[in-house]
Amino acid sequence: MRSPSYPVLPARGLTAAVVLALTAGLTTAVPAAAHTGGPPGPAAKPYMGWSSWSMQSSKYPGLNPDGDYSYLTEANVLKQADALAARLKPYGYTYVNLDSGWWRDKDWKPGFDAHARQQADPVRFPHGMKAVADHLHGLGLKAGIYLPVGLEKEAYGDGKVPLWHADGCTTADIVHGDLRTTNGWDSAYKLDFAKPCTQKYVDSQARMIASWGYDFLKLDGVGPGSFKSGENYDNVADVAAWQKAIAATGRPVHLELSWSLDIGHAADWKKYANGWRVDTDVECYCNTLVSWENSVDDRFTDTPGWTRHAGPGGWNDLDSLDVGNGAMDGLTKAERQTYATLWAVAKSPLYTGDDLTRLDSYGVKLLTNREVIAVDQGDSPPARPVTPSDPQQVWAAKNPDGTRTVALFNLADAPAAVTADFSSLGLTGKASVRDLWNHENLGTYTNTITEALPAHGSRLFTVTPRGGTLTTTGYEAEAAANTLGGRASVTDCSACSGGRKVGDLYTGGSLRFNDVVVDRPGTYLVKVAYISGDPRPVNVSAGSGAATRHTFPSTGDWGTVETVSVPVTLKAGSNTVTFDSGSDYAPDIDRIDVPSSPRQ
Amino acid sequence: MQKPPSRRGFLTLAAATGALTALPAFTATAAPRRPTAVPAADTRHQLWWRAPADEHTLIRQGLPVGNGRLGALATNDPGRELLLVTDVTLWTGGLNDTLDADGQFPYGREDFGSLTLLARLTVDLPDHDLSAVTGYRRTLDLAQGVVTTSYVHAGVTYRRQLFASRPDDVIVLHFTQSGGGRHTGTITLAGTHGENGTAESFAGTFPGGLRHGAAIAAHGSGGTVRTTGSHLTFTDCRELTVVLSGGTNYVPDAATRYRDPGLDPRALARTKVRTAARHSAGTLLRTHVADHHALFGRFALSLGTSTAEQRSLDTWERIQARARDGEPDPELEAAYVQFGRYLMIAGSRDSLPLGLQGPWLDGNDPDWMGDYHTDINLQMNYWMADRTGLAPCFDAFTDYCVAQLPSWTDLTRRLFDDPRNRYRNSSGRNAGWTVAISTNPFGGGGWWWHPAGNAWLCNSLFEHYEYTNSRTHLEKIYPLLKGACEFWEARLLTTTLPGTGREVRIADSDWSPEQGPLDAKGITYAQELVWALFGNYRTAARELGRDAGYARAVGALREKLYLPVVSPTTGRLEEWMSPDDLGEPAHRHLSPLVGLFPGDRIRPDGSTPADIVSGATALLTARGMNSFGWANAWRALCWARLKNPDKAYQLVVTNLRPSHDGGNGTAPNLFDIYEAGPGRGIFQIDANLGTPAAVTEMLLYSRPGHLELLPALPDAWAASGSLTGAGARGGFLVDLRWRDGKPTEVRIRSVGGTTTSVGYAGTSRTVRVRPGEAVTLRDLVR
Repeated sequence: MRSPSYPVLPARGLTAAVVLALTAGLTTAVPAAAHTGGPPGPAAKPYMGWSSWSMQSSKYPGLNPDGDYSYLTEANVLKQADALAARLKPYGYTYVNLDSGWWRDKDWKPGFDAHARQQADPVRFPHGMKAVADHLHGLGLKAGIYLPVGLEKEAYGDGKVPLWHADGCTTADIVHGDLRTTNGWDSAYKLDFAKPCTQKYVDSQARMIASWGYDFLKLDGVGPGSFKSGENYDNVADVAAWQKAIAATGRPVHLELSWSLDIGHAADWKKYANGWRVDTDVECYCNTLVSWENSVDDRFTDTPGWTRHAGPGGWNDLDSLDVGNGAMDGLTKAERQTYATLWAVAKSPLYTGDDLTRLDSYGVKLLTNREVIAVDQGDSPPARPVTPSDPQQVWAAKNPDGTRTVALFNLADAPAAVTADFSSLGLTGKASVRDLWNHENLGTYTNTITEALPAHGSRLFTVTPRGGTLTTTGYEAEAAANTLGGRASVTDCSACSGGRKVGDLYTGGSLRFNDVVVDRPGTYLVKVAYISGDPRPVNVSAGSGAATRHTFPSTGDWGTVETVSVPVTLKAGSNTVTFDSGSDYAPDIDRIDVPSSPRQ
Repeated sequence: MQKPPSRRGFLTLAAATGALTALPAFTATAAPRRPTAVPAADTRHQLWWRAPADEHTLIRQGLPVGNGRLGALATNDPGRELLLVTDVTLWTGGLNDTLDADGQFPYGREDFGSLTLLARLTVDLPDHDLSAVTGYRRTLDLAQGVVTTSYVHAGVTYRRQLFASRPDDVIVLHFTQSGGGRHTGTITLAGTHGENGTAESFAGTFPGGLRHGAAIAAHGSGGTVRTTGSHLTFTDCRELTVVLSGGTNYVPDAATRYRDPGLDPRALARTKVRTAARHSAGTLLRTHVADHHALFGRFALSLGTSTAEQRSLDTWERIQARARDGEPDPELEAAYVQFGRYLMIAGSRDSLPLGLQGPWLDGNDPDWMGDYHTDINLQMNYWMADRTGLAPCFDAFTDYCVAQLPSWTDLTRRLFDDPRNRYRNSSGRNAGWTVAISTNPFGGGGWWWHPAGNAWLCNSLFEHYEYTNSRTHLEKIYPLLKGACEFWEARLLTTTLPGTGREVRIADSDWSPEQGPLDAKGITYAQELVWALFGNYRTAARELGRDAGYARAVGALREKLYLPVVSPTTGRLEEWMSPDDLGEPAHRHLSPLVGLFPGDRIRPDGSTPADIVSGATALLTARGMNSFGWANAWRALCWARLKNPDKAYQLVVTNLRPSHDGGNGTAPNLFDIYEAGPGRGIFQIDANLGTPAAVTEMLLYSRPGHLELLPALPDAWAASGSLTGAGARGGFLVDLRWRDGKPTEVRIRSVGGTTTSVGYAGTSRTVRVRPGEAVTLRDLVR
């Protein structure tokens, strides 16, 4: 859920928000059962399932007849759960995640128990939240629930609301004296973890959802992130408290963070949580669930910086995978396949937000392709771009068995050919190619594979090397033989080969390698090692040829080196290769590696 | 180069006797010759791509086919073959003879009208979604006139061919496979103007009374093809053939208001597709290829050898590599010329001529109506025809002007004198004919009056005579020339040049296209064009033995025409009778240089005063080296005339640069893209046709009585090359070979010419050759 959702809601009732606790069952403590490790820990693999928010947030006709976000009801959730269990569970989809609003009425007015904890809206969930979880468990599914970070303003109750099992602590004892606000919507008072009562409040929330039997919590509006920065929006302590609180319940509850988390705090998110949304909502808040532009396509830009942070225990969450019904999704077939391809190779959690009772046949094919699911769920690392972030781009990962997962993407608005050069995968010569979407062995290719992709289209392959090892010649950016232009300068870089790099490539800065020698003329896939804390363009040219502008994907910070391969046309003998910022800011360059032979 | 005795001859005879009998453009045709073989493919004449188009990218990526009347752009998408079909005679609008309040012509889609789409044909094969096939490739064989798409799906290789046949007057899609595959899907034919129809045909009528219709027929082998509601369904077909025809009841006859009310285009289309469908796809293909190749094969061009690396790239990669690497790609550059020829063969045969887009639209409402712009674009379209061995394709242009003449004459007589018309003759006299800047096929004009347009049209038509020495052609165009002279005789003003006392004749108020003062007298554009017109008329009258007295009068008038001088202020040839530049120095049009190209008055050979040549050079220099595609082509032609190979070549290469985000340049399908606005590129065919003219003009200059070999050969093409079947003014076809920048052999075939000098690098010799015979020279460099 993202920021636009709150300002459009009615604000009435804010000052009289103390709600009586009604449910005696809430006080039943769940016996502590310590997690003993052994079989897969939490989030050993990206989770799979369904989430309610896409349908809640859409203006698609008929989804929310009782007002915005009203789709979230017990009846609807169970209907979707039944469909999930029947159609998708065999493929690994098990989580049914209730998103925002389960404690809010149709006018979005929240309800809280006597201890300032969110309480099920009796219209939406007439049997309470535990009943839902029980039903889900009965279907062999897992239950997910949602909370915003902080103490919601309406729960404050003049500071006098007693906390559950907290030795006289009240809501005044857990927030700052100035009632500073926090989260992506400023809808809560920031919790003050310097106060001894505060952890008890989080504990009480955790105990509550654990007691209901939930297996998953999405903690939303978390900062830095959620379009917020600064001290008031730093919720790292909240997240740490949640991890501690969940552990204390003894129930393994997956903790997922939302939204657009600050990559600068990746280490914190990895330490305390099992997944983090790398971007804003994929939903378009329009007449469909999502849209290609400004929704799905942003992920191609925003994911690469996060790639190396994903792994067992915590994953980069690209948000809902709404590919199940073309008309509702608002996407072409090609866009839907591309959407699913990126999610799979990035090893994002795979949770659809579609109406599972209305999947179309193509949607079922996309969601139930076992080879593609295996890319997401298997033991290979997440893929990263091996080319610049040009309209036609290639992402790849080296799998533990030596094969490569290779995704071709055409993000242009027109059909285009996309080529994966084996040298960009560190390979040369022959390789056999399997088409995962089409379950087809395509045969053996030499040095490249090219396919025609529709506008916004994709292909997904497993490439098995059958050739030799690529040999390359390296050239360090900092070498004295190179020519620096503009403000470009050599600086120290502990992550870089040779311990140095060339930086300050901006507004006219340039780096020219003066003596790149090859035996044969042709197009070479030059592997560029670079650092760029955000996606940056650079103009690459060889000799007297015109420059080609490429955007290098983010490396996530200014201390990490990544590589992309760039086609450069070289003559036999000595060549110059130039990286020029033009009028922009370009990445820092560590080195280039030039294959010994050109693209065939 | 004997042309078949045909409709042309018949029309000429009819015109000469003053009783032009109209034949419908869409008409029944005689049974064609059915050859049994197809000429072998030559990869130099094949363009190829690794990706298809889709509906939204047809103008940049769709491949064009055409039979000279019907044109189509195709996606070649395995899962959805979409053809947008245009008939060059399907126009909205009409005569448009009610002037606006300013005495000029309305220029809207309902009054003046617009070329528009005829039909939309879709063949859907749902299982063959692009994301589910591999090894996709499509090829446009320029020599055969066939688009071939191939791909592998589920282990089966599928292949489809698309061509537009002139002999059978149909567009054919033929789907085949090898490996046990089947075709299953639907075929949908639809109009684009809300027409009523069935799965197999439709018909409509525009408000002006123009009727149109189209029909399809489909047959498969091994499976079934049946009608299912509004489309045809094919199931499990090993092969599938889809045939489309269509047209209008347009006729090139002013007397019937250009429409034949008795012609039912839908019925005719149904007859045509049924007739064609009786033949196998292979037979239709061979028939088409023979017809296409008979024209294509008349001319050959080699500009040198490309590298293996260049040859390994697909056409779009090659276009990008050419711009990026800066390395000449001689085979690509020659292929660009051949692509222009392909478009002309596909777009200019027995029907209307090529307008701004030819018969290749991606929507109902092309920019500038897809019309005939008479202030450069229509003329430029045909500069290449004779130069590249496509003299027969020129006839559509000629026939158009001949058929429009009665209406143009009528409009001039009735409307040009309108007191609101700022361009009316201040002499009070009015005679002959002229045109508007835009013309339609119904005898109507659009936008503003364009007095000098008549002269330029006539000069273009006359040049075709110079190339062909065809007396028949000259007889056909003679009424146009004479009427234009009569117009100018009535229009020219007499003035005395200040300070000299010299009395000269100047053009009345006019606009130098499309810039500067709206009404200036004696603009260079008009003076040059009329000067050439009068000369051409005098020659025509002499050759035909007609109107000797009038020809003398026109000749005398010509002697009095003011001709432009060099501005003492700018050093450039004046565009207006003013030392000041009253417009944009870098304007796209080269109107004041029509005497340099396409005219011959300004020559760098010593026959023209040096100051005029240098003033023209200075003007051309000021115009710059980077404009729209057609404007670059014109610049290249002018630099070729000035024997500057580097600049001419640079402009050719500039036109070859890839168009990105709607910018000027070449699209993946090689269409020239004109940046109509930021990010909005449109197709304009003139650069595709003008650039080939420039390439040939760099290799061979001609005017009656003189040929110049390799006048502007750039280094990129100097190593070795050849030109075969190039037209030369004076009535010749020229085959030329060169090596190391020097001609090694030239063969001069007469198509009517008898004597010419042949020059190279300052030397010249005279050659005599009898019509139908040839002379070969080898010792050219002495």
